Amino acid sequence: MLRSITSRWTTTAAAAVCVALAAFLAVTALGVGRHHTRPTASAPYTLTPFATYEARAPHVLSSTVINSAQGAVQGAAATPPSVLPPLQASAFNGPTAQYRAYAVRQLGLMESQVRRLQNALAANDRTGAQEAWRAAYARYLRLGAVYLVGPLSTLNQAIDGNAGSLPGGTASPQFTGLHRIEYGLWTSAQPHTLLSQARLLNLNVHRLRGVVGKISIEPLEYATRAHEILEDAARDLLSGADVPWSEEGVLATNAGLQATEEVMATLRPLLTGRENTIPIVKTELATLRSVIASLAAAHGGSLPSNTQLTQAQAELLDGTLGGALEALSQVPGSLETELPPQIPQIPRRDVRIEP
Amino acid sequence: MSELDRRTFLTRSAVLLGAGGVGGAGAIVRAATKTEAAAAVPTEPSAAQEWSVSQAQLAQREPFDGPHQAGILTPAPAQATFAALDSLAPDRKTLEEALRALSLRARELTDGTPTPLLEVDDPPADSGILGPLNDPDVLTVTIAFGASLFDQRYGLASQRPRELIEMPTFSVDDLDPAQSHGDLLLQICAHQRDTVVHTLRELLRTVRGSLQLRWNIDGFSGAARGPSPHNSPRNLFAFRDGTANPPTSDAALMNKLVWVADGEPAWATGGTYQVARIIRQHVEFWDRVGLNEQENMIGRVRTSGAPLGGTTEFEEPRYDIDPHGKRIPLDAHIRLANPRTPATEDQRILRRGFNYTRGFDAAGQLDQGLMFVAFNQSPERQFATIQQRLSAEPMIDYITPVGGGYFFAPPGARDESDWVGSGLFAAA
Repeated sequence: MLRSITSRWTTTAAAAVCVALAAFLAVTALGVGRHHTRPTASAPYTLTPFATYEARAPHVLSSTVINSAQGAVQGAAATPPSVLPPLQASAFNGPTAQYRAYAVRQLGLMESQVRRLQNALAANDRTGAQEAWRAAYARYLRLGAVYLVGPLSTLNQAIDGNAGSLPGGTASPQFTGLHRIEYGLWTSAQPHTLLSQARLLNLNVHRLRGVVGKISIEPLEYATRAHEILEDAARDLLSGADVPWSEEGVLATNAGLQATEEVMATLRPLLTGRENTIPIVKTELATLRSVIASLAAAHGGSLPSNTQLTQAQAELLDGTLGGALEALSQVPGSLETELPPQIPQIPRRDVRIEP
Repeated sequence: MSELDRRTFLTRSAVLLGAGGVGGAGAIVRAATKTEAAAAVPTEPSAAQEWSVSQAQLAQREPFDGPHQAGILTPAPAQATFAALDSLAPDRKTLEEALRALSLRARELTDGTPTPLLEVDDPPADSGILGPLNDPDVLTVTIAFGASLFDQRYGLASQRPRELIEMPTFSVDDLDPAQSHGDLLLQICAHQRDTVVHTLRELLRTVRGSLQLRWNIDGFSGAARGPSPHNSPRNLFAFRDGTANPPTSDAALMNKLVWVADGEPAWATGGTYQVARIIRQHVEFWDRVGLNEQENMIGRVRTSGAPLGGTTEFEEPRYDIDPHGKRIPLDAHIRLANPRTPATEDQRILRRGFNYTRGFDAAGQLDQGLMFVAFNQSPERQFATIQQRLSAEPMIDYITPVGGGYFFAPPGARDESDWVGSGLFAAA
């Protein structure tokens, strides 16, 4: 989690398609299409999915919709440009400030959870330590939308780094933090031997809390995180890749969902009136929330590990998460702060074609 | 039908009739019927023409012997499998015998010989899944050694190629030990899937008890879908892959970039370092990224493969007149991988990767990606340098290298009396 992602200016093809379609239909209705007049795209519009999938898969557009929109915009095979008017970058100041304050609060809560972890380790209490680890780990994942890049990426690695990217793997001295403790608690290490690791974790979390309130979050990075927090869940957590010993992917996904909901709450004022994103995302996140709740209910009130899920439960969770991600992937395109720049052509006279 | 195809066909028919007259005759009758049916639609290729094409392809042969091993400069065919093996041989003599047998059997299979028959109460000497004749089908078997083969077990340490080390863990990696490294790597390539499947099975049988599977992955090439026959096939991010490969027809360039130079043990002359990496591509995530961002991450137009701002695949990206990345971002994949400056000319590598797909992971996500293969003269100067540059590319969020290794592909066998690796054992 918390990986650096390139800043982006994304067009959402679906949005552009729909604008273009609306324009195309309007133009066609007026009968001007026959005169080869190119329509000018204009807002507002709604997504036009396959009718039967509308409730669950608004991102699925029929080829008729796509073809007619492309034909209306630029001719065959052309990709429609984004036409949503860009937002002011300053519009993100409020949402990111809210999220930073939220992140500081999460780290404060995490510090007390790590202290609980230290106490359990000192008492050599594996069950108690695993319980405290779960709470601290889930809390850290609530930071989801904070980009820890540059010097902070080292701190993030120390808190939440995986063994796989280190020379020597689990034997590397650089393997520290939550996953180092996870490794010890879910294998044969004596819990009390992990105490020094927990102290180091506490120190690093405290350090991070001191700086996280001041870090800058770029608007487009923030908009992108709306879908990337849960992309991490699909890529690294439910697969067990990032939690190979505890397999606590469902817990981690739930934390990612909570972080995503926090991001979406701060973005709501910006998204209002831009495409149809809010209701679609709201529906999908609510479905995911209820699925996770049903899994906890089926497992005696606590979230099961990845390996405790039955096949039917795993399919339900994976599929629902996928649906939520498809909806969330529309968010960045709805929140562009600049139009994609025109790419200058390579000068023709210098073109060298190789065989 | 060419002379070669005709001969193959007749041989096949004769063997079939000999083995079981009814089945053989039936096959020929079916072929004739298809020909008549197809004749009614003259614009479509006839069944006979299609049969002829597939027979011609199956009959194509890529010689096993030569100064360099096959499967390196050979154009990548449609199908591949990569198998890393560990040696169980208790001593050097046993290992040597296993490697000799490996070359012998690989040569037979690439030549395309009839499957030998033993007495009926013995298990057949060949699994027979390709029928009574093992068509060559442009089969190549490339044998390479891992660094661990040069440990203390077999007394080969003094002859280890200078840069052959266990593949380092790069910052983007999440290596699974069970899919990484190995004493040997077999790269098996052919046009048809069944040829590859058969070859792996036969080669493993040949060395059973001495060399054991460590990891295995199947690969495939995107079909040549044009617009011209020269256009590169696509990877699973939908972008063309291999566009900037150095031309294999340029022998002088291959001597600079692929085949090892002075400073290596004498036996290694004519060999090359093979970097093999299993790179998972998170395709669902990729599909949720806007086209502009995809193209900026790669630096190329997705449809044509042209550098951004260009129109055709093989156009020069002209970084020299775009120093600030206005056209192609400075951290675009193609720009970091090959900056096209005089200083980076000798860092270029010969890529020969294959796409892979192997089911899905525990989170229901497709397990797809690239079996990345690079041949280079010096992994330190070439592959690792490029990899360091790529460590900060935006694309790293969408990929996870999970396995593979560094290997050394020795020179080819001289002739039928020789075998791949003989020089090493003679020298050590």
